[in-house]
Amino acid sequence: MSGPGSIRLHDLSFGFPSRNGGTLPVLDGIDLEVPGGSIVALIGPNGCGKSTLLRVIAGLLPPASGEALLDDRPIAGPDPRIGLVFQEPRLLPWRSAAANITYPLELARWSPTRRAERLAALTELVGLDPAVATARPAELSGGTRQRVALARALALEPAVLLLDEPFSALDALSRERFDLELLRLWERAATTIVMVTHSIPEAIMIADRVVVLSPRPGRVVADIEVELPRPRTIDDLDDAAVSRTARLIRAHLGDPDVAPGSDQATLTPASVLA
Amino acid sequence: MTRTTWLPIGGAFVSFIVVWKLVVVLSGLPPFILPAPETVAQRFVGAWFDGTIWPHFSTTMVEIALGFAVGVVLALAVGYGLARSDLFEKLASPYLVAAQAVPVLVLAPLLVLWFGNGLLSKVVICALIVFFPVAIATMVGFRSVDARLLELGRSLRATRRQVLMTLEIPAALPNIFGGMRVGVTLAVVGAIVGEWAGASSGLAVLINLARASLFDIPLMFATLVTIALVGIALYLVVVIAERRLVGAR
Repeated sequence: MSGPGSIRLHDLSFGFPSRNGGTLPVLDGIDLEVPGGSIVALIGPNGCGKSTLLRVIAGLLPPASGEALLDDRPIAGPDPRIGLVFQEPRLLPWRSAAANITYPLELARWSPTRRAERLAALTELVGLDPAVATARPAELSGGTRQRVALARALALEPAVLLLDEPFSALDALSRERFDLELLRLWERAATTIVMVTHSIPEAIMIADRVVVLSPRPGRVVADIEVELPRPRTIDDLDDAAVSRTARLIRAHLGDPDVAPGSDQATLTPASVLA
Repeated sequence: MTRTTWLPIGGAFVSFIVVWKLVVVLSGLPPFILPAPETVAQRFVGAWFDGTIWPHFSTTMVEIALGFAVGVVLALAVGYGLARSDLFEKLASPYLVAAQAVPVLVLAPLLVLWFGNGLLSKVVICALIVFFPVAIATMVGFRSVDARLLELGRSLRATRRQVLMTLEIPAALPNIFGGMRVGVTLAVVGAIVGEWAGASSGLAVLINLARASLFDIPLMFATLVTIALVGIALYLVVVIAERRLVGAR
């Protein structure tokens, strides 16, 4: 059933070299399946390896053991089918917003004419005011900068969009708005989305499934289905399913105020999926 | 520049001339020790129009231009190497520092002895003196490249050359220009010192002529003014190039 852009991680582990010459395990035996075109949110405590996991999928870090597959082929390195949005916009400060968006096209040696056409489509897609195209990143607001970064990640029409806490620097209201815009964009661009987040409401708002990771070394402790119909709106956050799902996520995040194991009915353990 | 920046610049210049004039009047120094500003101005204009300064000026300008260009090109290459290889830095930096620590004033006669009293020795001296600040600034610039931008480049599968052209050079450029601002004023010093050590033409030669054989102290001052103006003009050229290439960030 899964379209292009499916990701499969099988028994994936990763470690960083530690100061005393050993290995500091960061990810431990991750099994995860993301069907093409679906949205998965990764949530977990600080330092649990969420960002590392995203970098392994992006081909920036090679797994120490296990495999990471994109459309059933091993991910051997950075891939044009994968677009990446970092926690900070990470724009080139000496380039205009437009030249930042077309930067991946320039590296891929697109002709200036094609770049200009794609730029117009991308500005429209991410809802960027064309008037700011000539502005430098320093002249833009935080939200606009992240919009530019999103357009850049989408430039090569990736099948997978990886987002590393992309809206965490924005205020709560803008963040909600960006989450909804991301959903509208996903409905049009039909990419697979894997988003790392710290926010339970954000995870529930956007994702089909919320994957909860344990403290380091990160492993999948829960894989929770979000039972909200699509297309979603901001009013869906008042649905009873949301508080039920949030409660479940908190239980697995180790929140002492929530008894673990409650509401088992909607819980799908990772071992079942794998 | 706007009126608000020109006004203080003009004001400072006028006060400088007034103080100079006051020193001449109050001290009562004879014109062959300290000529008055208007005497120097008159001689400056005269010497430019009667062709006294021009041949010396053009000699010095050619030395500076070639020496600066050679020094900068070498410094960019070596600075990049220093930034990229720790081993190279460890091996090369003692010699670079030593070459910089020996005053160029001492080296100049030796270099004139080796390379003759023509253009070549001046180019070598200029390049030598320009090299160090530009090489160090280049090294610092390339080391200052944001690792997060390099990761972005890697995620977009940028080639080694693309990383250099689109990430490393633009990121290092402000530092490189900082080094070139220092380097260009040193290039003037290098050319003058080189001519001092032995030459048949150049602004330093003209100063010597004016002082010793001609005993034309206002001409000597007019030449000093010329050298100062050359320094200011070249510095401005670098600043303007920097504005165009680095721009607002």
